[in-house]
Amino acid sequence: MNRLVLLILFCGMLLSGCREPFNPEIEPADLSVLVVEGYLDTEGLPSKLKLSYTQNIQTTNSYLPSYPSAVVFLRSESGEQYPLTDLGSGEFEFAYDIPENQNYRLYISTNEGRSYTSDLLQPILTPEIIDVGFVENELGVEVYLTTKGDENADDFLWTFEETYSFRPKFLSYYKFDPETADIVYRDQDERTDLCYRGSVSSDLILETSSRFEDQFVFRQSITQILKNDERLGLKYSILISQKALDKKASEFWEILRKNSDDIGSIFSPLPSNIGGNINNDQDPDAPVVGFVSLGTIRQKRLFISVQEVAPWIVYEPAYGGCFVEPDTIPKTEYAQSFASGSFVPVFPIFSEFNELEPIGYRGSPRPCTDCTLRGTNVKPDFWED
Amino acid sequence: MKKILLLILVVFFFTDLEAQTYNPKFTGMYIGVPFERFVERIESESTYKFFFKKGDIENLQVNLQANDSDIRMILNQALAETGLTYSVDMSNRIWITKGAKIQIEFPKDYFLVQERQDNLANPGDSLGAFDKNKRFVIGKTADNPQSKTATLSGVVSSIESGKPMNGAIVLEKVDYNQVATDQNGKYQLTLPKGRHTIWVQNIGGFQEQRQIDLKGDGVFNMSIEETILSLDEVVVSSGALSNVNKLDMGVQSISIAEVKRLPAVLGEVDVLKGILIMPGVNTVGEATSGFNVRGGAADQNLILYGNSTIFNPTHAFGFFSAFNADLVNGVELYKGSIPVNYGGRLSSVLQVDPKFGRKDKIGGSGGIGILTSRLSLDGPIGDKTTFMIGGRTTYSDWALNLLDEEADLNDSKITFYDINANIQHSINEQNTLELTAYLSQDDFRFDPDTTYSYQNVNVALGWKHFFNDALEGRFTVGSDSYEFGIIGVENPLNSFDFGFNVNQLFLKADFEYRKSDKHIFNFGVHGIQYKLNPGRNSPYGSESIVLEKELDEENAREVSLFFGDEFTVSEKLSVSYGGRYMFYQLLGPMTVNQYVEGAPITDSNVIGEKTFADGENVKTYHGPEFRVSARYTLDNRSSVKAGFNTMRQNIHLLSNTSSIAPTDSWKLSDTYIRPQTGGQASVGYYRNLAQNKLEFSTEVYYRYMNNLLDYRSGANIILNENIEQDVLNSDGKAYGVELLLRKSTGLLQGSIAYTYSRSLMRTSDDPSIEKINNGDFYSSNFDQPHHLVVTANYELSKRVNTSLNVNYSTGRPITLPISKFEYAGSERVYFSDRNAYRIPDYFRVDFSINLEGSHKIKKLAHSSWSLGVYNLLGRSNPYSVYYTPVEGQLRGYQLSIFAQPIPFITYNFRF
Repeated sequence: MNRLVLLILFCGMLLSGCREPFNPEIEPADLSVLVVEGYLDTEGLPSKLKLSYTQNIQTTNSYLPSYPSAVVFLRSESGEQYPLTDLGSGEFEFAYDIPENQNYRLYISTNEGRSYTSDLLQPILTPEIIDVGFVENELGVEVYLTTKGDENADDFLWTFEETYSFRPKFLSYYKFDPETADIVYRDQDERTDLCYRGSVSSDLILETSSRFEDQFVFRQSITQILKNDERLGLKYSILISQKALDKKASEFWEILRKNSDDIGSIFSPLPSNIGGNINNDQDPDAPVVGFVSLGTIRQKRLFISVQEVAPWIVYEPAYGGCFVEPDTIPKTEYAQSFASGSFVPVFPIFSEFNELEPIGYRGSPRPCTDCTLRGTNVKPDFWED
Repeated sequence: MKKILLLILVVFFFTDLEAQTYNPKFTGMYIGVPFERFVERIESESTYKFFFKKGDIENLQVNLQANDSDIRMILNQALAETGLTYSVDMSNRIWITKGAKIQIEFPKDYFLVQERQDNLANPGDSLGAFDKNKRFVIGKTADNPQSKTATLSGVVSSIESGKPMNGAIVLEKVDYNQVATDQNGKYQLTLPKGRHTIWVQNIGGFQEQRQIDLKGDGVFNMSIEETILSLDEVVVSSGALSNVNKLDMGVQSISIAEVKRLPAVLGEVDVLKGILIMPGVNTVGEATSGFNVRGGAADQNLILYGNSTIFNPTHAFGFFSAFNADLVNGVELYKGSIPVNYGGRLSSVLQVDPKFGRKDKIGGSGGIGILTSRLSLDGPIGDKTTFMIGGRTTYSDWALNLLDEEADLNDSKITFYDINANIQHSINEQNTLELTAYLSQDDFRFDPDTTYSYQNVNVALGWKHFFNDALEGRFTVGSDSYEFGIIGVENPLNSFDFGFNVNQLFLKADFEYRKSDKHIFNFGVHGIQYKLNPGRNSPYGSESIVLEKELDEENAREVSLFFGDEFTVSEKLSVSYGGRYMFYQLLGPMTVNQYVEGAPITDSNVIGEKTFADGENVKTYHGPEFRVSARYTLDNRSSVKAGFNTMRQNIHLLSNTSSIAPTDSWKLSDTYIRPQTGGQASVGYYRNLAQNKLEFSTEVYYRYMNNLLDYRSGANIILNENIEQDVLNSDGKAYGVELLLRKSTGLLQGSIAYTYSRSLMRTSDDPSIEKINNGDFYSSNFDQPHHLVVTANYELSKRVNTSLNVNYSTGRPITLPISKFEYAGSERVYFSDRNAYRIPDYFRVDFSINLEGSHKIKKLAHSSWSLGVYNLLGRSNPYSVYYTPVEGQLRGYQLSIFAQPIPFITYNFRF
């Protein structure tokens, strides 16, 4: 029987392959390629244009993009000029309601003396999102979106940002007051029992509506929340942005997506060189990365509360080792135990005789009680309770 | 008396008659010198030797003055008006005679017999060295002087055992009289009287020769060397000198016996892996049976099973070859000079010879391995028909299902099978029919949502007809088809069923006409009718809202006429020349986009479309292909060869992965995608060493290729109606040198093959939307300059056979991310120029042992075990390299497929 197990193991090794870190020696090419990112809304919704330079792949320290100082403006074919506001850090804001029936070009001139011009940009009116919703499946919960393309808008890009509320492992309403050396209730703004956390997803979801009957994109999967995920532990919100793209933009985003997602499996396509629609005026052969589009951004927000998907059991690895210390900390030892803040009083212990004054508190390490370590206790503006 | 002595000397020295340009100059005064003194002077100053009759020169005095004169000037003067003449022979002997000149040159054909003997010095006849050179006088002149012929008879016996030899051929090569000895070793041959060279050829042994002077009827007994035959196997080879003598160059043959001795992945004998030990043949990775010959893409190899074209020669996405080794006789790879009767692919032809059934009894063979099993049965049906049928299947599913969860392949499924059936029927001596049929099917998935499948179906019926002794015809009709499908069920609404298929009906008529010993003509016609469905996507399941999409079917016709001549100009020089003319027509119904002329083929340059009716000619391409090669034999053991050929290819594999993927579809040449064309020039030197035990060859080649396909960034290959907008017309060039040292006899056999080669591409000058690497040459995906393969096979005993295989090659080129940037909320990578970097070098050592069962004749089945270890050193040879963001940090990974030593064991049997 042992022999059989061995054989199976061999097959396992054979078919699972082997993944090892790979750090090739790359000639330190100082590739200062300009990167331009932006989908500028033509109906006045403030939208951002970002400029940065590529960095050597082997830069291991935390990512600090270098960026040029520049003057950026959009000009219509009829000569109308719309300067972008410099927000610093390579970010520029565009907030104009511009006519959609015109073509435009984006002009960038850096203080290093280089200038860049985009290809002709044609605004695309993005159709409205018809519906966003979710459905439970065997893996958990899938968020979907329904929309419909039209003759101008065929290719779509969806991006999303998620926010969710969550609680720590143990709720604590108490804190140590150094002045009185006693345990007191926390103020409302110091509460650590309910927090919000969110992120902009790096997922790029692309689809062509003409693949479907009547260009009706029905229940396009946006994201999948796996079972036990903390995001649905209380309440979850997702803001989905829908952007219509022209053919070339869609190719750019497809390359970007493929270059990040599809590389490295057995039948992966070869990586493609990424370009865009920005050209260096001084050296037309010099690479520039980025595709700037003009159009309207359609957004829709969806809330999912735990009641809608109940029962939803959360297993959050960050709270894996959490416990409440079994020993009660008597009042005399409050300062010694709680003053540093790394150990937090969780609940009071009362004696049979005095139900007003606790004889002490049992506590837990701060990461198990303080949600602000992983999020913020400030409720976002859009949040609906 | 002296005269007779001289004549004997003449005869004695006849073999020494070699042209020499010995011409010393003499200076001196000879006044009244007696001739004998004069002779002494000349002999002391040179190597000339004088021969004369003393009486002839009595009283002769020499009066002359030599001033840097040669011997002829001096002698002319000295012998003027003396009635004496002289001759100078090639050994610098000077014959002085009275009256007529002495004849020192023999009639032209006098030495013919002896010269033949020089040419064909035989490596094996060490024993007969004396007998060979001795001239035997047979019979007496006095007997029957009227008859011009005489009868030679005798017994041929073995030098080792003294026993008479049965079946030895006794041969005279001038008029080609020959006879075989009977079971008592006796022979009888009637020959013209006179001198002859008699050759004795023992079957399986060496040729020996005897010089005879046949004066009358006589007996001539010969003892010759016997060769010891191996007990278990008789290898019929076309001769030890075939490496040197054969006309073809760049041809590599490998017998199935050789393939079986190689260590195999999982014990699965794989003919495609077998050809990878040859120089000039590379592969981009282990999980691909696609191979690259001399810098050509994998789709440029014509893979023929008999006469059937196999479009996808792999199982299980490349782990196994689709050929069942029990149904294969051998493989031959043409990578240099491609015979005129092959065409349609740019790089090479891989001819896999099917095996046909035995005539004596019904038997079979099979094998049981870890993942696959095979069984075949063959034998006669009646007197004139034989059959062979075989199948192979895998049962890897059970193994996959038990996998550790970490492997994340619990839902994987791999199944495949193949079936071969070959029938041969000989109608009579002039006519033979052959039917070969092949079916292979693969189904696999890595996750529960997507299932891949593909299938080859091939049938061919051939008729071989001998019109007469000189003319042979082969007529073949058949059908080859290949299809693949993908079913995706990730989301019931988006569930799809994608399919691709290609089918070709073909007709071949090949003729071989042996006009004389000097000419072999090959000519004929090949016709192919292509029908290709580039892609069809339909909804799968009732909920699916995927729209049915089907690309236009492609239909085309290809007709090639060919003619070639193998011309033996002389014993030393052979030339093969010929050509093909290929005529290709793409036929309607079809709708073709029209583009702005001279502008890149892009969506924005579409100016309309043109519709063609059913059967209407859409586009025609035609052109010649040339095939020329020559061999010049330098001496017994070495030759030089040179060749040049051009090729055309009308069917292209669309693939933008580096290896052949099962989802790569084929495409016919159309209005915008032109036939690939190319040419190759090569020169080679071949030499046998150590009494033909070692074969050495080296070949140098240069290739150019046009109309290759590369893909622009972001190209979409599947279901693309306007694929011409996504491909980039490219040129290629490749060059290299191949060295091969091979030992194919003895207990230790093996080969060392080293190749240095380059394969480069560049986007052509045609207007195009993108020029990869600014239109400069870049390494193709399979540009691996150094490649070394060493195979060694040692027979420990008749029952135990070990082999070792060492494989090294430069890592294949890869496009690496060289910088990073932030875009759309995540770190993204910026890639280097196309193929500017390489993955780490590839190095692998395999070892295997074959254990044969006992050699008893009477037993149920002959069995053998083959076991070994693949990748003995456990080196993780990267198959690919990729970068992926992990927790916001970009990390590089290398993916290996066989990162561990993989032991294997297979049980084989035959009955």
